[in-house]
Amino acid sequence: MEALIPKAPEILVSLVSFLVLLVVLGKFAFPPVMRMLDERAEKIRESLEKAEETRVEAERLLEEYKQQMAEARTEASSIIEQGRKVAENMKAEIVAQAREEADAEKRKAIEAIQSEKTAAMAELQGQVAELSVAVAGKIIGSSLEAKDHEALIERYLAEVGSMNGN
Amino acid sequence: MEKIGEGVEHLLHELSVLTLSGHEVHAGEFVLTNYMFFLLIALVVTFLFFMIGVRKVSLVPESRLGGAIETGVEFVRDSLCIETMGPEGRKYVPFVGTIFFFVLFNNLIGLIPGSKPGTGTMGTTVTWAVVVFIVYNAIGIKRHGVWGYAKSFWPKGVPGPIAAVVALLEVVSHLVRPLTLSVRLYANMYAGHVVLGIFSILGALLLEASGVMKVIAVLPVMLQIVLYALEVFVAVIQAYIFAILTSVYIGGAIHTH
Repeated sequence: MEALIPKAPEILVSLVSFLVLLVVLGKFAFPPVMRMLDERAEKIRESLEKAEETRVEAERLLEEYKQQMAEARTEASSIIEQGRKVAENMKAEIVAQAREEADAEKRKAIEAIQSEKTAAMAELQGQVAELSVAVAGKIIGSSLEAKDHEALIERYLAEVGSMNGN
Repeated sequence: MEKIGEGVEHLLHELSVLTLSGHEVHAGEFVLTNYMFFLLIALVVTFLFFMIGVRKVSLVPESRLGGAIETGVEFVRDSLCIETMGPEGRKYVPFVGTIFFFVLFNNLIGLIPGSKPGTGTMGTTVTWAVVVFIVYNAIGIKRHGVWGYAKSFWPKGVPGPIAAVVALLEVVSHLVRPLTLSVRLYANMYAGHVVLGIFSILGALLLEASGVMKVIAVLPVMLQIVLYALEVFVAVIQAYIFAILTSVYIGGAIHTH
């Protein structure tokens, strides 16, 4: 039972020891450690937030690049398509022009042939008339009057002309 | 048997509060006692542990001692203070932390063979328990005012006479707190050393004896090892209990209902 009664020197030593330790640790040990722990927690929170921000930013950029890529691809294919169309149009134009030119050439040739033919025909008519007069004169002799002559030639020419019309 | 009796008597004498020269402390005599000698050693060890360790604490943990200090402070902050007092418990970390670590180092140093725990005497435990008592009541009064704090002992919604009895019980339970707090720690430390001492005496006597007795000595020695481990556990647990009760008392004074 005697052991339960605190001894005065022990009260003093333990009290002073405790107070000294409380003051020293309360000033130099606990506050800096707690400050550091708070700082660390803050730093970790910040880093996590920053990492999250970076991740979101990266995802946004990736999305943007993907979109740009898709746009570029569409643009490229539209350019190709356009090019093809232009080429096709050009081809059609060239073909049409060539055909037109060919047609024009042909028409010109036909016209030339036609005029040559007409000229030839006119010359032939002249020659035939002369020849006929000469032949007729030979057959009939010079009995024919000048007036009869002309009438005869006219009639003959008309006949030959209608033949030529075929 | 006689030898055992002598041994135990010697042990109890050794474990009582004595001067460093080994005689009993007389009333009014002012000397350094055996327990206070080890308490001062614990004071130096605690001081050095923190003063060396705090320098090694850094934002990026690099040293083991720093890591130990961090873990200890974090434990006091979160598991003792904030857990029992809420966020404002941070303010009381130095007080509760000093109690926890000083008690812990005293308890552990007492386990080194030949030494005693500074907490193994009522002189220490009563003093600290009274400090705790004064501090938590002061916090309660500072926060709620003398009248407001006194009123918190009076239960609400209970009819008069019963409320008076409850209030009386409440006051008594508060007044008993320094006693329970101090005896719990003292008795655990003291009793642990008595048990370890008795098994040492038994083992030593059996080893001194002849023949078959020497073989039997294995038993108390084996048990001694187990008990020693148990005492290490008790040393930590008792420091924790002393500190958590301190926190709970302060928490109760802050959040009266």
